[in-house]
Amino acid sequence: MQVERGELVSFLGPSGCGKTTTLRVVAGFEKPTTGQVRINEEDITNNPPNQRNVGMVFQAYALFPNMTVAENIGFGMKVAKKQANEMSARVDEMLDLIHMPGFGDRYPYQLSGGQQQRVALARALALSPEVLLLDEPLSALDAKIRVSLRQEIRSIQRELGITAIYVTHDQEEALSLSDRVVVMNLGKIEQVGTPFQIYNFPETEFVAQFVGVLNAVQAEVVDPGSNRLKLDGQQVQTAQDLSKWRAGEKVVVAIRPERFSFVSEQVKANLLECRIENITFLGSIVRVQVRINDYTMYMDTFNNPYLELPKIGDMVKITCSREAVLILK
Amino acid sequence: MKQSRIWSWIILIIGIFYFFLPLFSVFEFSMRMVKDKYTFQAYIVAFSDKAFYENFGFSMLWAILTIIVSLALIVPTAYWVHLRLRRIKPLIELITLMPFVVPAVVLSFGLIRLYGKPPLVLTSSPLLLIVGYVTLSMPYMYRAVDTGLRAIDVGTLTEAAQSLGAGWATILFRVIFPNLRVAILSGVFLTFAIVMGEFTFASLLVWPAFGPYMEEIGAMRAYTPQALSVVSFALTWISIGLLQRIGRGAPGQGQIAGTR
Repeated sequence: MQVERGELVSFLGPSGCGKTTTLRVVAGFEKPTTGQVRINEEDITNNPPNQRNVGMVFQAYALFPNMTVAENIGFGMKVAKKQANEMSARVDEMLDLIHMPGFGDRYPYQLSGGQQQRVALARALALSPEVLLLDEPLSALDAKIRVSLRQEIRSIQRELGITAIYVTHDQEEALSLSDRVVVMNLGKIEQVGTPFQIYNFPETEFVAQFVGVLNAVQAEVVDPGSNRLKLDGQQVQTAQDLSKWRAGEKVVVAIRPERFSFVSEQVKANLLECRIENITFLGSIVRVQVRINDYTMYMDTFNNPYLELPKIGDMVKITCSREAVLILK
Repeated sequence: MKQSRIWSWIILIIGIFYFFLPLFSVFEFSMRMVKDKYTFQAYIVAFSDKAFYENFGFSMLWAILTIIVSLALIVPTAYWVHLRLRRIKPLIELITLMPFVVPAVVLSFGLIRLYGKPPLVLTSSPLLLIVGYVTLSMPYMYRAVDTGLRAIDVGTLTEAAQSLGAGWATILFRVIFPNLRVAILSGVFLTFAIVMGEFTFASLLVWPAFGPYMEEIGAMRAYTPQALSVVSFALTWISIGLLQRIGRGAPGQGQIAGTR
């Protein structure tokens, strides 16, 4: 795994998948059983954490309660024995960066959660580290602050051009923040790609299931030449090449709910007949749960108060494009 | 509601009587040295005795030395147990409870037997007394420090300091100790109070101290020991008052994460 200079890479995965452990290996808090950690081609695998020049932001903020905001931000520089005037200028610069000028004399307990995390970010950045590590920094914050702070983190990271590794279990956070996303499961990397690639072209069933809502069902290859499959008795066509499969073989097919739509008169391909099982209003989106024989699938449609939706129990036809039918590894 | 308030007051008054009546009686008795008159004569006698200052001074010295050794031994141990050896925490807690189980007499005889003969003879050195006092005050000091460590996220604070380039000495003296100030102070004052009033170790190891002095005075005089008891209570309370005052001034104690 290689992270480019100035890139923000997110490690995304469920609890216990090893994403935080990976981050801690980079920080030097854990020793890897195999492999190396290199920064600028320098092997730092055996360097202690205080000799790696990496900044870290923790989920629990970890501000030193006995120090003021300014002392917290200046801690690393004090340890590095920087000049007092240099330190003070840098602290002011950092306070400006996090939009908290005038907060230098306050103690951590006098700040809100979001403010504490911004101070923690400033503290980690004050020493201009080679790599910034962020371990679920927004998990302890409420939803609104989370969204605004993640935008702030991204803009600061871009402004400083700092290389950053971000650990999260929140897919929305990972997709919205990152240049690249590393999806992990059971201690292994499942897929590395841009948020666009990860969401639209998941390579494994795990990635497909973990990132976003997904319909993953088993289908049978009918005709590899024309990329035709049979999905519980109904035929669908994929844009993916099926030549490596033989007719009759089973494959896992994935279709995102938003790729489905109710059938208009003109459409004749990839028609699936199904029964409406449930309709859930989610604000901007309405999620329709449909049943195709043995499979339950989801279909998302934009909320339109002037569009009449079918009723629960109605038989309807839905469709999706050939490109929406993905074959998973 | 009204009924429960009445009961609260009754319980409070009983409590006050239970705790303060004996103390008041001691104080009242200590004032009756001169017949038919309340005076501070017993206190004047106590304070005019040169031996009082000598023994009090020795106890102060033992207390200070005990506190220094205790802090040097227990704070880093408790910190390390919290940080890296969480699995052996129950064992450490059990060890620190041993002085409660083993009586001071047994402990002091054990020390005399062990260190009274070669290869390590310490019976003539005050070091043995200090070792005894450290052992005796260990449950209090350990528990105080342990409570302080539980209140802060030791692991994350240590890692945060490490990631900012700090070494172990900086982490301990600039991050951990200042955040344990109140806990350490409570351990210090408890140790101080224990050593100031301790009798068994000083008596059996034959070192001058306030405890044996009070016992000696008690055997010879009637009013002065009562005055000394009141003085020793006052000293303890002053210690607790100091602790409260210093603790109040500590910013952000017990608050590591989250909003206020």
